[in-house]
Amino acid sequence: MLEIKNLCAAVENKEILKGINLNVKQGEVHAIMGRNGSGKSTLANLIAGKNNYSVTSGEVYYKEKNIAAISPEDRALNGIFLSFQYPVVIPGVNTTYFLKEALNAKRRNREEEEINAADFMRLIKEKLKEVDLDETYLKRSVNDGFSGGEKKRNEILQMLILEPELAVLDETDSGLDIDALKTIAHGINQYRREDRAIILITHYQRLLKYAVPDYVHVLMNGQIVKSGGKELALELEEKGYSWLEK
Amino acid sequence: MNYLQRQFHALLDHCLDERKEIRSLRKTAFDRFNQLGFPTKKWEEWQFTDFSEIRKNEYRLAWGKDLPKIPDKIPGLIPDTYSIIIINGHYQPQLTKLPTGVSVKSHEDFSQIDGDEYSLNGNQNPFLALNTALMNSEISLIVEPDSIIEKPIQIIHLTTALSDQFMNHPRLVFQIGRNSQATLVEHYIGETKIPYFVNPVTQVSIDENASLNYIRILEEDIFGCHTATTNYILKNDARLNTTSFSSGAKLFRHDIKLDFAGDGGEAVFNGLCLTEDQQHHDQHVIVDHQQNFCQSRQLFKYILAEKSSGVFNGKVVVRKNTKQTDADQSNRNLLLSPSALMNANPQLEILSDDVKCSHGSSTGELDDDAIFYLQTRGIDSETAKSLLIHGFANEIIEKVKPISIQDYIHNQFTDWLS
Repeated sequence: MLEIKNLCAAVENKEILKGINLNVKQGEVHAIMGRNGSGKSTLANLIAGKNNYSVTSGEVYYKEKNIAAISPEDRALNGIFLSFQYPVVIPGVNTTYFLKEALNAKRRNREEEEINAADFMRLIKEKLKEVDLDETYLKRSVNDGFSGGEKKRNEILQMLILEPELAVLDETDSGLDIDALKTIAHGINQYRREDRAIILITHYQRLLKYAVPDYVHVLMNGQIVKSGGKELALELEEKGYSWLEK
Repeated sequence: MNYLQRQFHALLDHCLDERKEIRSLRKTAFDRFNQLGFPTKKWEEWQFTDFSEIRKNEYRLAWGKDLPKIPDKIPGLIPDTYSIIIINGHYQPQLTKLPTGVSVKSHEDFSQIDGDEYSLNGNQNPFLALNTALMNSEISLIVEPDSIIEKPIQIIHLTTALSDQFMNHPRLVFQIGRNSQATLVEHYIGETKIPYFVNPVTQVSIDENASLNYIRILEEDIFGCHTATTNYILKNDARLNTTSFSSGAKLFRHDIKLDFAGDGGEAVFNGLCLTEDQQHHDQHVIVDHQQNFCQSRQLFKYILAEKSSGVFNGKVVVRKNTKQTDADQSNRNLLLSPSALMNANPQLEILSDDVKCSHGSSTGELDDDAIFYLQTRGIDSETAKSLLIHGFANEIIEKVKPISIQDYIHNQFTDWLS
């Protein structure tokens, strides 16, 4: 589903990614772990199509197509979803309106009719329960005045509503207490399916206890320095990252 | 002799039957205007606005023959409102619809109006002086005490079907009686391709425990220049809620002054300016806390596109020995083009200790991170930008009441955006 080949990328002439190789197939959950500054968010943003990086070499293939020239919105319409590490506050834009607009953009792209108000409310109420948010959030502006945990749950809510095929979750666990963490993991597990793939980007092992990955990769200084099964996460929890430094 | 002098003398000849107090007021005001002259870049409070367009254009005063055929459908008329219609400076009494408890006086009974609202009180604003000298369109609207006026009263100033460049100097006096509640909409619309100049002065007084919801909509044609002066006086426990929505006029300057003349007053200002092309919008606001326990809130937003420019100059004054003042002033500006320009200058002048005051101003472009966020949800970048601009404006628009007026403003905003 996603194949990254020798990807190198820089921001303002500073090299961040130095040859990433990654192959994610349908039904798989990959965790990418690493310290702050290792390039995790850059990788996530590049998959989603953020354009303030310069890709110096390498390619990203999604569903076997090179997506270098594809806009972020077209990537999203074709099934790529990014849960932001820092979800953006959008004052004055009502959450319900935003969710409906996003869902309808997808439906229009599939040449389906726009969802009617009643069906949309039914859908949204069902998904709100999954992430333990109450309906008052819908009346507020997008992420405006939301706590850290509420913002992250709102990201998962969007994932559940938009039903992407590839979800990249960038530190969706950071700053959460244990209950919120379990809610997020529940949302991820709800979403998980044979025909979908997930990339969990995280600093810590704790989310992976509840949302168990198939593969774990360690990103360090812009390169994947070690890959393994879910047990690698436990090893990192125990030993930290230093032992992997060359 | 410049065009204004010629017009002034023509006006005096035309209005020979006017009361002599009014004639002498006009003369004093015109002398004041001549002393002051048009503002120049050297005047601190006027430095960012160029008035040469008004100075050079030879506008003439609107006369009776300038009244065109009354349109079947008055543009801008909002459903379910009481209305007062003024076309090219001419009040149309046959179109007036008002509820009981509200009365209106126009130019015809102008001689009965007492002069207090008309005195210059040493004011140094040349456009106020010019209006007083040349006022040719007067409306005085009085809401009786203890009246609850449910529906809004909309006052439309329509400029349409001009044959040559002309000007109007409307004078509006609004008095809201004790314990009364009303919504007024002062609405300027232009539909012409000929340059014109509208220079209104609005004097609003809100008596004890009365409440006014006041909406000002500026949709002058792009060929129009509009300079306005609005003065508010709030008595004890009076409440004022204002919204201004300004999208029209080539040049717009508005001087707003609010005096808390009694204790316990509350005033809210929400303003949204939309400019494009080479439009220029300049608003100066002074809120004068002269009494105790008064609260004022200001939120002025500008959205500036293309080569347009804006000025916001707001001042909150808290006088010596006043108690428990609560004042907040905020100015937020969104630049949609690298050629758009904003000058903002929020100021506080606090001479009392017993205050809670805050102010701030920010000017920025659309947030790239927010655009990217929306794009990752499948929303294309143009729609994303439009959503963000909408969101920015919504903070003002969604507060407008009643809903019929909010809908009108919202529709006009959406039209502007597309």
